[in-house]
Amino acid sequence: MKHYGKKLIAMLLTLLGVSFIVFAAFEIIPGDPALSKLGDNATPEALAALRAQMGLDRPFLLRYLDWLGDCLKGNLGESYSYHMPVIRMIGDKLPITLTMTILSMLLTLLISVPAGVLLSKYAYSKFDRAGYVANQFLMAIPSFFLGILLTWFFGLILKWFTPGGYVSYKKDFWAFLSYLFLPSIAIAIPKCAMSIKLLRSAILAEADKDYVRTAYSRGNSTMEVLYRHVLKNAMIPLVTFWGMAVADTIAGSIVVEQVFNIPGLGRILLTSISHRDYPVVEAVILLIAFVVVLMNFIVDLLYRRLDPRMRKG
Amino acid sequence: MKTIREWIKKHRNFNFFAGAGITSLILLVALVGIFYTPYASTEMNAAAKNAAPSLQHIMGCDNYGRDIFSRVMEGIRNTFFISLATVAIGTFAGILVGSVCGYFGGLPDDILMRVNDALFAFPSILLALVIISLLGTGTINVVLALGIAFIPSFARIVRSEYKKQVTLDYVQSARLMGAGHLRLIFVHILPNIVPVLLSSVMIGFNNAVLAEAGLSYLGIGVQPPEASLGRMLSEAQSYLFTAPWYALFPGLVIVLMVLGFALLAEGMTEE
Repeated sequence: MKHYGKKLIAMLLTLLGVSFIVFAAFEIIPGDPALSKLGDNATPEALAALRAQMGLDRPFLLRYLDWLGDCLKGNLGESYSYHMPVIRMIGDKLPITLTMTILSMLLTLLISVPAGVLLSKYAYSKFDRAGYVANQFLMAIPSFFLGILLTWFFGLILKWFTPGGYVSYKKDFWAFLSYLFLPSIAIAIPKCAMSIKLLRSAILAEADKDYVRTAYSRGNSTMEVLYRHVLKNAMIPLVTFWGMAVADTIAGSIVVEQVFNIPGLGRILLTSISHRDYPVVEAVILLIAFVVVLMNFIVDLLYRRLDPRMRKG
Repeated sequence: MKTIREWIKKHRNFNFFAGAGITSLILLVALVGIFYTPYASTEMNAAAKNAAPSLQHIMGCDNYGRDIFSRVMEGIRNTFFISLATVAIGTFAGILVGSVCGYFGGLPDDILMRVNDALFAFPSILLALVIISLLGTGTINVVLALGIAFIPSFARIVRSEYKKQVTLDYVQSARLMGAGHLRLIFVHILPNIVPVLLSSVMIGFNNAVLAEAGLSYLGIGVQPPEASLGRMLSEAQSYLFTAPWYALFPGLVIVLMVLGFALLAEGMTEE
């Protein structure tokens, strides 16, 4: 229990650091938010008044604390170009990107664990060699190129789905989910290849250890040894990898959203970057970083559950 | 020369040679691309719009009738040099930050590593996006943005290596001999972490290639009419049905680039 408290504090500190970095980064942009809000024809008096009203004349640290307090209350500011609260703009986009991230993480798990076990079972055979070559190749494919290939093959040749035919989750949840399936595959496949490779080598490394011989000598079958003993240990490095893969998956989904024309966080981030709509950029970045930190925290908890040795240490 | 031959002998394996082969092919194309392309990369030809691959245009033509192979050559060159510069920035700054943190430890180390942890929460392509949104688009800014985005991971690796090395006997004896901090950091310890650094540089290069391609796919990166592999892919998407080769070739080239380097890195670490 003490450990979880420590981890929680570390996570909160990281979140604080993240928020500070984001705030500071957008403070050093050349340009005056009051000026961009009022336009070039504003009188100096009006500018000064708005600056005072926006609190721009106050010291940096105080403004950071104000901004942080606002963020905690769910007030992420107002978009420069759409003149509406940022939270309303990104609130209904977050579920889209989040669904895609979770779906691709799930796919990675569901594909890579059985495949990794299978490859290590037939280690050093022709099947294993073929798997190795396929893995190396798949690892090198950028997910957006894979997305284009999938669109071409399943959308234009087989006509299994309409490219660009995104359905909102508010309208039809199942249609939404099935449209997100291919993009999630595109994100998941390179990650799968990496985890398969990692799992195979972890299982093979574990298989040489003493406890495996002991388990065999006690009359366990290969299946029992594999599933009850080896896999449990081999999963530990994999969980670390998956924790790091979360950030990559979210980043991947930002790019792959564009391939499949999905109006998620990625779309809003890119349009606000090109419009220099900084409050929106700031909010999206902050949100993504928070999700990453949170996911890492969860992975860490899982790690402890999986490995009793870590619980004591 | 002898050491290189011995080194190759030691690392003679399939991965190494396959990787070296692919990488030198790509490198050759990139180098030739500086001086010569079959057509000018921006030369438009209305008669050859979306032309299929043929003997004149081995990868076909794009929607303006530009020769795709020439543009791919230019794209490889751009991606290659951007990634190289990116990794150079990341490695250099990473060594500076990581070595000082790992060597001295203490409060500065704690603070810098906290900052590093926080920066780690941003996926590198996202960090690059933020930096570009602050700096503006353009090749130089892409290099800077990606380079900065790569610093945290390099710094982390270098730091943990320095932490390990600092406790070793050779560092202690060098210190007793009167070597100063700078000398210890750069002359004594640095050469010893080169193997670790080398493999992370190679992985970093691959990540840089992927990130650069991703950024230019998003339209942030090398600006037209200059060719870039990522942007070609995004332009090709509108012509997927009529000219699938337009997407296929630039994409395959990215795959080959990453694959070659990955195999090379694997071959070098394999015993």
